[in-house]
Amino acid sequence: MSKRWAITAGMAVLVLAALILGGCKPPATATPSVPEKLTIAWIPKALNNPVFEVGRDGAFKKAEELSAAGPVKVEVLYVGSVASDAAEQARVVEDAIARGVNGIGISCNDPTACVDPINKAVDAGIPVMTWDSDSPDSKRFTYLGVDNYQGGKAAAELLVRFMGEKGKVALLTGVPGAFNLEERMRGFKDGIAAYPGIEIVATVYCNDDINLGVQVVEETMQAHPDLNGWFFVGLWPLFAERGSMPLWEDAAKNKGLVTIAFDTLPVELEFLKDGYLHGLVGQKYWGWGYDTIQMIYDYIVHGKRFESWTDSGMDIVTKCNVDVMAEMWATGDFTKPLPDPYACLK
Amino acid sequence: MGKVNIVGTLSSGNWRRILSKQEFGVFLILLLLVGSLSLYTDTFLTPTNIFNVLRAFSWIAISAFGQCMVIITGGIDLSVGSVMGLSGLVTAMLLVQGVHIPVAVLAGLLVGLIIGFLNGLMITAGKLPPFIATLGSLLMARGLCYGLSGGWPVRDLPLAFRNLGQYDLPIGNVGVPLPLIFMIILALVTSAFLSRTVWGYRIYALGGNETATALSGINTNRVKRMVYSLCGLLAAVGGILMTARLGVAAPTAAQGYELDVIAAAVVGGTSLKGGEGTILGVLIGAAIMQVLRNGLVLIGVSAYWLQAVQGLVIVVAIMLDQVRKRRR
Repeated sequence: MSKRWAITAGMAVLVLAALILGGCKPPATATPSVPEKLTIAWIPKALNNPVFEVGRDGAFKKAEELSAAGPVKVEVLYVGSVASDAAEQARVVEDAIARGVNGIGISCNDPTACVDPINKAVDAGIPVMTWDSDSPDSKRFTYLGVDNYQGGKAAAELLVRFMGEKGKVALLTGVPGAFNLEERMRGFKDGIAAYPGIEIVATVYCNDDINLGVQVVEETMQAHPDLNGWFFVGLWPLFAERGSMPLWEDAAKNKGLVTIAFDTLPVELEFLKDGYLHGLVGQKYWGWGYDTIQMIYDYIVHGKRFESWTDSGMDIVTKCNVDVMAEMWATGDFTKPLPDPYACLK
Repeated sequence: MGKVNIVGTLSSGNWRRILSKQEFGVFLILLLLVGSLSLYTDTFLTPTNIFNVLRAFSWIAISAFGQCMVIITGGIDLSVGSVMGLSGLVTAMLLVQGVHIPVAVLAGLLVGLIIGFLNGLMITAGKLPPFIATLGSLLMARGLCYGLSGGWPVRDLPLAFRNLGQYDLPIGNVGVPLPLIFMIILALVTSAFLSRTVWGYRIYALGGNETATALSGINTNRVKRMVYSLCGLLAAVGGILMTARLGVAAPTAAQGYELDVIAAAVVGGTSLKGGEGTILGVLIGAAIMQVLRNGLVLIGVSAYWLQAVQGLVIVVAIMLDQVRKRRR
């Protein structure tokens, strides 16, 4: 018994020693002079997702602008795993380190799984920042992302704009407990707390499943035929084709039901144009690339330092500016600022 | 052997015989659920809601018919959710390419049949336990969904295809959802297959006692391959109907539905030990699961509590049924 204990203790000491020695490696000194050409790896969660393609185009655009302005040339290396996979993404980061890139911007599939590859890069003297999805325990120099709480508040403001200061409201979420969704709902609830006439009559979830989303929306419409407002915390049921949610569609078109949803994807813009949705709150997909490259450039070239979290802001889309947003998706050019979402409502 | 077909049960005038049917207990649970929901809410017993429930549970029930056969043989098929997703996705991708609707649907059905057959092959020739073999194909089929679609839903499907899932057939003065009609037809066919054919007899025999069945000269491996193939095929029917209903095929579609399907079969009285189970029971089981979830949303149970209540009601209901069976 005591022998086994001694072995266990010995092993623990060894492991601890290894950890301490590994952790105490002297940090690589930052490159004193700026190279003539910067190669920045821009790594999304997955390839072939239109949202990330918008960000990628933003990254390329910024690199082009910075190179033209000189004196440092900037090149973007767009690499990632095909599907959202934390292990595969770690390999992609290690490849980027091996290639000797000058900086990395990454959207982490998993905050914990990202720590090790990010720290390896930083230890090798490569500055890393996260965008869209963070790894707070890693040595990344900043995180550029949306404040989901503020997004929820913006959704509440949109709802009040279109529905008025009283009414019955329902919430649709994905998986109860998902941090980003809970934050959005917390912001939304705080946002409508100022209006005692607004009552949340139902909170339903759909497991991120389109089929279940359609079902629970219809069931909620059945239970509350006099519903005045919906907040879709994600766009799940909106992926389904028209005709899938007859009760919701009818109420939206004929009974003044107001629906506010998260994200600003083309399918949602179509619903908004046709009058089913009233407002959208979305991330700035373009900025994921465009701003990330600028920030890494500033960090390396100008020695600029950032707060641990950088707010990327968000896009608010209503009927006032939906055509501009749709045009941006059609042309892939998101450089122009989005017009005031409330301009045509006054 | 627990062989009962729908027609037999409904037309039987013998009260004692009906009481002894294993479906009777779960049927009582369903009646109790429907009754209390109709009293408690004024929204449950409306034609719109009833048809919503029936439409939504039709693809789960259709997949559960196949699952029921597999479980009767003493096996299990975990891949049905992935097969539903993949067959719907393949059909949708072909439709978007401009392939004619019947061809695309046949291709989707073929995908289900092939995966089911491969499951059977892994279990018989490969000697894998059904749990492992079908867990493997659960992952492979889901992986194919991601690979083929690149992670993005396939939309803009032709209206004629969507009608398969969305059209309401006017019968009298009510519109009956088309998937429901498919479900009823398939229920009658599979029920007859199980209770009226020699193949059905072999399926029950295999689950009752595999060694004895093999000794009596029946090729049990052939029966297993057939059962898993049919299970894949029926899951594909369910998946394609669901895709038609939604007008979109997402790579994540029907993820986790294998549990709903297996639960529908088991709640409906299919014994996980094999040898026992009926299509009528599966129908009732699927209806209980769907009515319960629908009812809890109508009552207004919060998203955070819904699953807990759902789990509790199912367990208590089935326990009561067990007590009733033992008393008999």
